Amino acid sequence: MSLKETVNGTTPGDRILFILLLIVSFIGIFFMKEVLPQPRDVTIEVEGKLTHRYPLDTDRRVQVGSPFGHLTLEIKDKKARVTGASCPNKLCELQGWISRGVIICLPGRITVTVGGPEEPKDRKVDAITG
Amino acid sequence: MQLQDKYRIAILSAYALALHGFESLIPMPIPWIRVGLANIITVAAFILFGFRAAMMVTLVRVFIASLFTGSFLGPGFILSLGGGVAGILAIGVVFSLLPGLFGPVGLSLTGALFHNLAQLFLAYVLFIQKIEPVLIITPVLILIGTVTGLVNGLVADLLVKGLKNSEVTVQNTKSF
Repeated sequence: MSLKETVNGTTPGDRILFILLLIVSFIGIFFMKEVLPQPRDVTIEVEGKLTHRYPLDTDRRVQVGSPFGHLTLEIKDKKARVTGASCPNKLCELQGWISRGVIICLPGRITVTVGGPEEPKDRKVDAITG
Repeated sequence: MQLQDKYRIAILSAYALALHGFESLIPMPIPWIRVGLANIITVAAFILFGFRAAMMVTLVRVFIASLFTGSFLGPGFILSLGGGVAGILAIGVVFSLLPGLFGPVGLSLTGALFHNLAQLFLAYVLFIQKIEPVLIITPVLILIGTVTGLVNGLVADLLVKGLKNSEVTVQNTKSF
């Protein structure tokens, strides 16, 4: 009784089920990667308080101001950048387009977060600042 | 349950346990992925001796293997038990609803699929409670389960045919 005979001896049902499962799992692998990264948000905090929240999917330009300065936030192609900051050395502008992470304008005390799924309100003070 | 059935179940369970133990020696890059070699015995027991024998073999294997490894009543044991029972239940249902459609390979694939689905469901309900990681991992597990299910089914088919052949030889020698 050889392996080849056994393979040839499988029923059509066996083969269809095998191919179906392969197709379903491959589709699933690609589909889940496309679908599951949730629509992410860009959140803006001034002095640690949430002031604005924008979806990352829609392109827009927003003026953000605080008592300490102002900047323009640009959202395009699911990326965000800061332009037109009022600070002297424009570090936030130099950071360029980001799709994930934080841009901090220290003089203006403005934080721009391109968020993962976690909510900024859950963020706790860490051991160093606490 | 007849005495002969008990012997069969005991011997098949011993084989399943041996394969289970042997499998843990195979290095795996990801810790919770198993080939499920013991399912060869489950499928063979189902084809040779029917649903009840296969269910008993699975239960004995899961309980005793968990006692050996010290994971009895732990999370791994719950997943193992749920997956094993779901797999053999699915095999039984498919076999009785659609007789003749699937050979050993198809039954093994069915068992592997429902084994994985039941484990994912249990893991989601009991441990993870977040739908995203479960959904991401589901197709990957189904893919791996399909490949290992195919291999296990082919081996089970070979085993069943080999056993049937040797049984014929034994009966022939007896008659002489």
